[in-house]
Amino acid sequence: MKVNEYYRPSSLEDAYHKLQEDPKNSLLAGGLWIKKMGLSVNCLIDLSTLGLNKISETKDEIIVGSMVTQRDFENSPIIKSLFNDSLAFAVREVMGVNFRNIATIGGSIMGRYTFSDVICGLLPYDVSLEFYPSQKMSLEDYLNYKGRLNAILVNIHIKKGNGKGYFKKVKTTALDFPILNVAISKVNGKYAVAVGSRPMVASLAHKAMDYLNKESKPDFNKAAELVLEELSCLDNMNASKEYRQDLTKVYVRRGLEEVSK
Amino acid sequence: MLVKFYLNDVEVSFDVAPNEYLAKTLRSHGIKSVKVGCNESSCGSCTLLIDGKPMMSCSILSASIEGKHITTIEGIQEEAAKIAHYFGEEGADQCGFCNVGLALTVYALKRELKNPSEEEINNYIVGNLCRCSGLQSQLKAIKAYLKEE
Amino acid sequence: MVDKKKMRVVNNKTHSVDGKGLMQGRSYYTDDLAVQGSLVIKILRSPHAFAHIKNIDVSEAQKLNGVALVLTYKDVPHVSMSRAGQGYPEPSPHDKFILDEYVRYVGDEVAMVAAINEEIAEDALKLIKVEYEVLEPVLDFETAYENKSIIHPEDGIYEMFPIGFEPKKNVAATYEMEVGDVEKELAKSDVVVEETFYSQAQAHAMLETHSSNARLDEHNRLVIYSSTQTPFHMRRIMSTTLGIPLHQIRFIKPRVGGGFGGKQCFHGEFFCALTTLRTGKPSRFVYTREEVFGASYTRHPMKISLKIGAMKDGRINAIDCRSLSDTGAYGEHSLTVFMIVGSKVLPLYNKVDAVRFGGRVVYTNHVPAGAYRGYGAIQGNYALESTIDILAEKLGMDPKKIRELNSMREKETSPIFEIMGEGTKGTAMIMESCKLPYCIKRGAELIDWEHNWPRKVISPTKVRGYGMAIAMQGSGIPFMDMGSCSIKLNDGGTYMVTVGATDIGQGSDTIISQIVAEELETTVDKVIIYSSDTDLTPFDCGAYASSTTYVSGNAAWKAAQKMRKRLIKEAAEFLEVKEETVKFDGKIFISGEKSITLNELSIKLLYNKNQQQVQVTESYFGHVSPPPFMSAYAEVEVDLETGEYEICNYVTVTDCGTTINPMLARGQVEGGVVQGLGMACFEDVKYDKKGNLLSNNFLNYHIPTHKEIHKLTTEFADSYEPTGPFGAKSVGEIGIDTPPAVICNAIYNATGVRIHKLPITPEKILKGLKELRK
Repeated sequence: MKVNEYYRPSSLEDAYHKLQEDPKNSLLAGGLWIKKMGLSVNCLIDLSTLGLNKISETKDEIIVGSMVTQRDFENSPIIKSLFNDSLAFAVREVMGVNFRNIATIGGSIMGRYTFSDVICGLLPYDVSLEFYPSQKMSLEDYLNYKGRLNAILVNIHIKKGNGKGYFKKVKTTALDFPILNVAISKVNGKYAVAVGSRPMVASLAHKAMDYLNKESKPDFNKAAELVLEELSCLDNMNASKEYRQDLTKVYVRRGLEEVSK
Repeated sequence: MLVKFYLNDVEVSFDVAPNEYLAKTLRSHGIKSVKVGCNESSCGSCTLLIDGKPMMSCSILSASIEGKHITTIEGIQEEAAKIAHYFGEEGADQCGFCNVGLALTVYALKRELKNPSEEEINNYIVGNLCRCSGLQSQLKAIKAYLKEE
Repeated sequence: MVDKKKMRVVNNKTHSVDGKGLMQGRSYYTDDLAVQGSLVIKILRSPHAFAHIKNIDVSEAQKLNGVALVLTYKDVPHVSMSRAGQGYPEPSPHDKFILDEYVRYVGDEVAMVAAINEEIAEDALKLIKVEYEVLEPVLDFETAYENKSIIHPEDGIYEMFPIGFEPKKNVAATYEMEVGDVEKELAKSDVVVEETFYSQAQAHAMLETHSSNARLDEHNRLVIYSSTQTPFHMRRIMSTTLGIPLHQIRFIKPRVGGGFGGKQCFHGEFFCALTTLRTGKPSRFVYTREEVFGASYTRHPMKISLKIGAMKDGRINAIDCRSLSDTGAYGEHSLTVFMIVGSKVLPLYNKVDAVRFGGRVVYTNHVPAGAYRGYGAIQGNYALESTIDILAEKLGMDPKKIRELNSMREKETSPIFEIMGEGTKGTAMIMESCKLPYCIKRGAELIDWEHNWPRKVISPTKVRGYGMAIAMQGSGIPFMDMGSCSIKLNDGGTYMVTVGATDIGQGSDTIISQIVAEELETTVDKVIIYSSDTDLTPFDCGAYASSTTYVSGNAAWKAAQKMRKRLIKEAAEFLEVKEETVKFDGKIFISGEKSITLNELSIKLLYNKNQQQVQVTESYFGHVSPPPFMSAYAEVEVDLETGEYEICNYVTVTDCGTTINPMLARGQVEGGVVQGLGMACFEDVKYDKKGNLLSNNFLNYHIPTHKEIHKLTTEFADSYEPTGPFGAKSVGEIGIDTPPAVICNAIYNATGVRIHKLPITPEKILKGLKELRK
């Protein structure tokens, strides 16, 4: 990785301005994948000293600073208290503790990595992203946003509710990329299903969710079929398309059974 | 650029390049106990403690540690000897290359989690790869160390 | 025979002599010892699987500020060699040049840069202009033989003695043998099974990447620190290849961060040597992890076809084994690995009337294959032990019974031992120690085979399967591997031991210290050991072929016995009594009323009377290679809907003679088992269509972690090998041999799906299950 300058901004505004100065300037929010990709960066703008590493809550939502590490996220009593401690599934199987102490929630989201546990794990919840300069959009809208968003992620807002979640990462060993991720929630009686690493970035399965939330006694196998109708799978070096489809069927069904218990 | 931090409680300041990672900085200043096994945040050999938390130093930019407390194995010599004792009891030490990083992880584990289950221990140490030991002997040794008052 | 009950150090718990120091961060690995400010070496590597360099222009790179040296094939000696650290003459083809005008795999060396730092070296690589004539690569080893693409068309390559080297046919080595009449015996058999298995190019994945550095000493001699398993072979090969007198080279092996055979070959040593010789400056070369995966060596991938004929009563008549091995771009260890597929696997079933083994080792444009723990044996074991289970099922027999009926027992032999060695003829031997029947019985008890085999249904989607296999290895190579040991008496009554034996993490420094301490009736802390320095320690062939405990251990034992005799002689002289009257208990020499302590004697000998340095040296080479034996059993739990499975328990019972260090012996077995499980279950090697290695980092190449390994049950048989040091045989490799077959058999017993191609992935299992359901 080539870097000409390391910059510690004094404020979000300062960071934002620095980012605008040069298209080759980049934010540092953990930096694990920047290193992996061996990018050439003019100025690295370190967000770690802007106080974005706190988790707080209001009556209706949990607010997670973008620079909260994955490890702090999983250990947070506030995160644990919601949805039967299901949110932490999104980070628990990301590499080891010595990795999660570096990787941030915001960095994981902004990269829109196809293999991201974090994105898939948060997607079935009501999650919105707060940016600087002032802008807010749902996690799903951000995933669908075309091009690079010229803004800094400040907070991740997770709406409170009652219910629980399910997360399955299919992998070869614990330090592997997922072969498939399945995340399911049932919050306030409503189902949400996300499948990631197909091997594309995670998506919500709306057709299946509509079916599940419409029927009084939905057939989970049918829901799994609907997931596959909507979300395609592909081959890559980790698994074939066919195997991913088989796994999707099994784990969507099992997940739905689990959250319905 | 100059970065000032605490290395095993002693204030130091090193001149670092903006793209330089902590493992390289420390090794080039003679702290060769920091081992680099993959240099791509996967194997955990380079693990050290930053403000008490285990992190892979191959992936921490040196410029970003201004004011932080870095603990290498030199900072926990007595604990390292204790951990080594339990590894010796179980025959868990072989080539030793991963041991320093693992010892620092285990040291942090002991301070972070009280009476951890086997699953919690495995979760904590899974980011420290070992190719020699067969892993079970390490787990047994770590359990014994964690039990020690 | 030494009574085990009387042993106080050997066979007793002893911590590794270096365990505590290494845990505390003492920095004695190769790169820790590089001279600060050394030139940094980087290699330009081929982007093509097969190409001819038409033009190479390094002028821009040379001009870059900070670049000290750039080398291409035009600048280095054009002397072919084998990079394999093996005995001399080497049984591997001399088919490699330090740099060549051909590049034969993606990652092959094109040019070298040495610069004042890593960044400049990397920038310089980008300034080298290479014009390639891209050639058609051979990427499927089954099409390599007589392919129109000839991977080694060049002149100047050769075999040192006949090994079946036919480069124009892409053949690195060939081997054929037959005992009895296989065709006749197969025809006579009631049942014949025929199966083909494929194994992959496993990566060693030792945590310390390949590393070396060089400097000139005050005599202007070349001193190389290298993370190697074979410093003495390195020195010899470097001397002949570079044309430097051998005595002008010193190889030092510091602590090594894991080897497993991967460090039994040259890596960067030639480049460090050339840089330092040509610039006069110290240099260092540390492989990146990607280079370790993509530009060092792998296990030889193989295709193994077996025919086994048996009678209805379960007696095996004949085994016919055909094998094809992929040595990649270069032929390091090509013949020796290949022969072991036969020689350390087939004698397990020594009651056959006929056995045949043969085939070829072919070149491809893949990462070269080389030595890897259990080489040949793990590939052969997977094929043979899977086929034995298939045979047992066809005969309606318990696979444990068919093994009990046909396998090797104590005082028996196999004709294969005499016919097949490593690259040469073998050595006949009788099994003086073989507790295999016990190992099979005890392992079955530990897994509760009687009640559990073949499967237990846990739920409609979960089934547990049980599988087994047996294995054997060797203990060094007879009449070839040699180890030696010197012991010096220090004033104060302690001993300085120097050995050529190479500690690569397996603990040889510890077990040799134990052997010396046991014989001299002292404690390990009174024995200081220094190993593997071509200037300072006596010769040893190195750490490979499961030779260290047996060969180097025997040398240490002989040296300690000699020291003991010598000390008694010196004490007798000092006490003015006859030697026969002197008793020595490790601390004091007593003859009747007279006595002197070892401490006193050691001081007198240096300062006061008949002054002399007491030092002894002994060497040992094996006349036989007593095999360790093992039984292994596994319990796996399979998810029938997804094919995913957990390894619930892996049981091994090993006969390695006396365990010199019981905990380290366990470490060797368990470490081997887990590496074997990695090969069996997780470690997939993937190339793209152009021959680029995709599984070239720890995210894409999956070695087992703490979360995959749940339970290992490891026991040892009570055994004593009369030719071994204190009854010991080897234990370094055997642990790795069984997992592919055991897991394959267990998965079959759980699901009915037989996996013929490693690794045994959930995806393959589910595919098999779906086919069965059709």
